[in-house]
Amino acid sequence: MNLINSAKLSILNLSVNKVRTLLTTSGIIIGIASVIVVMSAGEGIKSLILGQLDTFGTDIIETEIKVPNTAKNKTQSQQESGIAMVQGVQVTTLKLKDMEDINKLPNIKGSYSGILGQEATSYQGKLKKVFLYGVTASYDEIDRGEIAEGRFFSESEDKGLAQVVVLGSELKQDLFGESDVLGKEIKIKKKNFQVVGVMKKRGSIAFFNFDDLAYVPVRTLQKKILGVEHLVHIISQFENKYQAEYTAEQIRRLVRENHDITDPDKDDFVVTTMAEAMEVLATVTGAITLLLLALVGVSLIVGGVGIMNVMYVAVTERTREIGLRKTVGANYADVMRQFVIESVLLTIIGGIIGILLGIFISFLLYRFAITHGMPSWRFIITLKSIIIALGFSAFFGIFFGVMPARRAARLDPIQALRT
Amino acid sequence: MLISVSNLKKIYVSDEVVTKVLHGLTLNIESGEFVSIMGPSGSGKSTLMHILGFLDKPSSGKYYFEGQDVTKLEDEQLALLRNGKVGFVFQTFNLLPRTSVFDNVKLPLLYSKMPDEEKDERVKKVINAVDMSHRENYFSNQLSGGEQQRVAIARALVNNPAIIFADEPTGNLDSVSGVQIMKILQKLNDQGKTIILVTHEIYTSEHAKRIIKIKDGRIVGDEPVMNRRIATDGEILK
Repeated sequence: MNLINSAKLSILNLSVNKVRTLLTTSGIIIGIASVIVVMSAGEGIKSLILGQLDTFGTDIIETEIKVPNTAKNKTQSQQESGIAMVQGVQVTTLKLKDMEDINKLPNIKGSYSGILGQEATSYQGKLKKVFLYGVTASYDEIDRGEIAEGRFFSESEDKGLAQVVVLGSELKQDLFGESDVLGKEIKIKKKNFQVVGVMKKRGSIAFFNFDDLAYVPVRTLQKKILGVEHLVHIISQFENKYQAEYTAEQIRRLVRENHDITDPDKDDFVVTTMAEAMEVLATVTGAITLLLLALVGVSLIVGGVGIMNVMYVAVTERTREIGLRKTVGANYADVMRQFVIESVLLTIIGGIIGILLGIFISFLLYRFAITHGMPSWRFIITLKSIIIALGFSAFFGIFFGVMPARRAARLDPIQALRT
Repeated sequence: MLISVSNLKKIYVSDEVVTKVLHGLTLNIESGEFVSIMGPSGSGKSTLMHILGFLDKPSSGKYYFEGQDVTKLEDEQLALLRNGKVGFVFQTFNLLPRTSVFDNVKLPLLYSKMPDEEKDERVKKVINAVDMSHRENYFSNQLSGGEQQRVAIARALVNNPAIIFADEPTGNLDSVSGVQIMKILQKLNDQGKTIILVTHEIYTSEHAKRIIKIKDGRIVGDEPVMNRRIATDGEILK
């Protein structure tokens, strides 16, 4: 029997036994689809994390307050600083002057600084506790947030302690609904603030919801609402990324000098570059990749066992058929050829359907992600995932299709016929 | 001489239990004969048929088929003999389910060297010979038992074999269908085909020309049929 006739015969067999064909291919389809979905989801999560990082910008150095260490022993000091935080020790040393000095450094393009507060805010009787983000006017240039309508406040408004506010898109919706907001006045801690602008929708980034914020001039927030003079952080943009670490070190020295600190162990601030943050995230994505590999492994085993079972049962059921074929003159090679071709065809059919299904489910996952606050999730299907999925199902499909067939093909025809 | 067997023995060994099935049989069958191998169940008649039909191998003894020593052949060569020289009809029909009559009959030709162009023609011819042309495209499982057995005979004929082995071919059939099967077998024999019929029923065996009686793995009788029964419509198979 030649190969073309064998293939024809196999196709006939597969189409004749539709239920068996369907069951067998479903094992392969599920195996392949799950591998592709898991690997695509992995790529999506990676892009989500990297995308979040990107929304802050990668040309950024952050100077942030920190409760200083008090003891020599580092682990102990960490414990104590933790306790100090809980006890409400406040670090009030980071000031606007620090930002102005940082701005004079050679590699710095500009900076903005900010402080957070929370106050009752109302408009026409609607009351809401709102996060206030006091920032300098330079926030508008450096941060990636964009204005949807109106404008951001100016430096002169900040210096003049103007009572102006820019609303996050969700906050605007909460207080005003669809109606116009520009020029309207809302009350923050019983003081009138004029709305000058609304930010574009941005989503949550690292569990921080930018759309629910009210942006006010930092000096206005410090003096008129909170009654303080310090900052929480200073965000600086640098020109040359190759000097980023050097610039960070310059900032450390500068702030240390401003804060009269001689021992770096007693720093009341911490300076981080995005490169360092990237390294941390690389560890996180590495861990996620590892987790996904484990998941892929599990789905491979589940799919493989499925294929194995169906193939095994299918061949066992067909021992009589094998016996009959041998009775009418088929030899060992004829029987084996038929089963190999059938297994290969099943694997190819199941493989194609499985890949399409996997891509489709991955796409649904992507649609779900981007419409549920994960805008930087990307739809990625790697060639690697397809190769792994196909390779594995081909192995299981053919191996477990052919192994039991081998046993059956070796039986005496009359023995096989009697089963 | 078509078949020549001498001192044929078959012993099954499983888990130290030795079962002697055939105790040294000797017999000859000429081309064109219609032989019944008759005996009660467990007598070894099916085992003998399987050995004669190259489905099983003897433990010892000689088996010459058309002058060739079959006991020395490899599996590959036995498959060729099964394909080209013999046709089988079983009690349980053994047709492939959900497969058309045409494809069932064609099955042995899938493994034969007959040119592809001739195959379909040959299949139609043997289906016609058993009066099943009107059911050619039916699935085997849509047919009655008698019809299935006729398809099985067509399948046995398709390779134009030297011998047809029929193992209790009427065992699963009603009387009317059984008569039809015996009629076809007698007609084939009239046309020159060698038929070996295995049965435990005396009445059925009397449709052959010669009866070999087997009991406990030994031949206990071998004689021509005196009053041979001719299968006719209306006859009741007992």
